[in-house]
Amino acid sequence: MSMSEKDAPESGKKARHSASRRQFIQMMVALGFLGTIASFLSLLTSLLPSSGGGQQQGEVDNTFRYGPEKGTWYADKSGSEVKVEDFDQIGKGAGVLWRGSIPAILIRIDESKLRGATANSGLIAFSSACTHLCCIATWHLDRPNEAVLFCRCHDGIFDPYDIVKDIMPNGVEYRGARVIGGPPPRAAPIIPVEIRDGKVTGVPSNLETYAYCG
Amino acid sequence: MNDSLTTRAKRIYEWLDKRLLISPLIAKTQRTINFALPSTLTRQNRSRVFWFIYPYYYAGAITAFLAILQGITGLLLAFNYVPSAVGDPGTPTQAYLSVQNIMRSVPLGALIRGMHQWGANLLVAAVAVHAFWAFFRSPYRVGRELTWFLGVFSLGLALAYSFSGYLLPWDQLGYWAATISIQIMRAIPLLGNSLAQILLGGTGLSATTLTRIYFYHVSLLPVVALVLVGAHMLLVILQGVSEPEEAWKTKSEKQVAPLFGPFFPQQIAPVLIVSLVTLGIVLLLSAYAVQFPGDPANKFLTPRFIVPEWYFLWAYGLLKWVGWIYDIVHFAPPAAVFGVDLLSAKVVGILVAAVLFLVLLLLPIIDRGKEVRALRRPLKTAIGVWAIGFLATLTLYALNEILSADLSIPVDTMNLILGSIVIAVPLIAAAPVYLVLRQHVAKGVS
Repeated sequence: MSMSEKDAPESGKKARHSASRRQFIQMMVALGFLGTIASFLSLLTSLLPSSGGGQQQGEVDNTFRYGPEKGTWYADKSGSEVKVEDFDQIGKGAGVLWRGSIPAILIRIDESKLRGATANSGLIAFSSACTHLCCIATWHLDRPNEAVLFCRCHDGIFDPYDIVKDIMPNGVEYRGARVIGGPPPRAAPIIPVEIRDGKVTGVPSNLETYAYCG
Repeated sequence: MNDSLTTRAKRIYEWLDKRLLISPLIAKTQRTINFALPSTLTRQNRSRVFWFIYPYYYAGAITAFLAILQGITGLLLAFNYVPSAVGDPGTPTQAYLSVQNIMRSVPLGALIRGMHQWGANLLVAAVAVHAFWAFFRSPYRVGRELTWFLGVFSLGLALAYSFSGYLLPWDQLGYWAATISIQIMRAIPLLGNSLAQILLGGTGLSATTLTRIYFYHVSLLPVVALVLVGAHMLLVILQGVSEPEEAWKTKSEKQVAPLFGPFFPQQIAPVLIVSLVTLGIVLLLSAYAVQFPGDPANKFLTPRFIVPEWYFLWAYGLLKWVGWIYDIVHFAPPAAVFGVDLLSAKVVGILVAAVLFLVLLLLPIIDRGKEVRALRRPLKTAIGVWAIGFLATLTLYALNEILSADLSIPVDTMNLILGSIVIAVPLIAAAPVYLVLRQHVAKGVS
């Protein structure tokens, strides 16, 4: 409006009329242009994760299997099922794999010293992905003389004898090994252990607990 | 038939010019560049050109040359690399095998990959020198703000390139460096998870991640680089190189007497010489120090002594160092402040890094001082020295585990030593710089 008045200050009704018609067309073209761009922006939703794409199919085995760490007592058993008789003395532990995708640490502990939880046949298991930045914690590999879960990346330390309550970012409440050193923000979650025909298995009570590393 | 070569070339040019109408454009470009640095005025200063006297000016030229070299070697590597990470953890994937293949079977493959790898390392080093030099010399104060903005973004671009390239062989080191980086990205308050989902196709590393990272490395980033770096260099050519402070003395005599010759040929000639030397260094390094990829990536096994590339060590050290400070003062960060782990070591690390980047980017707006000479800016120069010291000592701190194992010092003692170094050394380096320069300035005024 101000433009048309400047251009033709005294030309009266007709000039003003045609100018506003021009403005209308300009506005419509601009709107159409913006609308087109906006509709193309909607294509960006393809970048978001698709639902159900990465879901695991079929039956999942709950038995623990030995992990891939080299130079350990279980190195030659890597990938085979964990037997309860392998854990014949207190302090013996192993990096294991649960349900094919969740790395864990299984330890034979001194039940009399355990606080905050009970073990099954002296066995206790923790998800070993560090709650800090998801590196895999180890047992006796980096700190051979200490009864701790140790993370190599930023020196996070968890105490398997001190089980505390904690909450995951996704709101799940759980129990886990207390952080006693380094940057991890939360306890390392327990995986409940069950013995079936001499095989050591984990109980999938709430799998949401172990989803913190994506 | 009897035409000389130049006549023939001229005819071809005329044929093209008739169709493309480029000669006015070329003439104008030549005029613009020559206008910025008229050769008639520089003739009297011919003895004081670029070469020998101002070697620090070459960091930018070396960067540009290495960027071109990265383009060429990267193009060749792309012909043989397979971006597929499908496979069981710990077994060689197609990506891993194709890199092995490049190293062992492809003719000159090891050399090309070595050049790409060493070129990347040297490029980051050259960019860092270039950036620090520009920080101290404040060229952004005299009409080069846009060049500075573009330069800071290009620095980020170089890091994005290195990060994405490091993951491509899908070996243990690359995998775990990327895992840590992604988990750090997820810790960004509010946006983290969505950002990881969009950029990397999930909250953890997967085969999808490699495809996306590969796409960024070979397709998206090159386009961004052409625009950013192209504009950066175009501005340098159009505005002329920012001259050393010695040149300022002559300006009081009302005569514009640039120190350096015109861009072409006086400035470009030494740049070409330096580029050839750089090429020689890259070739030597890649011929004698070829690095094979490590073990295939295994998501169930973190390797011992996991460290990122040297230019990310400071960030890694920062995360560890903040954690160490927390331990020393017995501070346990609350789990949630406004719904995020705002005070946890990793979020504090992210915020510190973000602030550093923002300060660097917005320097032309923050720094309003008229003086550009580093020796007359006590505070700014001292801050720069402190920043270099801080980055260097954090880099050292990142190596705490390795150093403690090598020197057989307990980790806790090592942390105490290194942690104190991070606090003390940058201050010890910066304080005398500030005091001496302040005296220097005071003398200059009186």
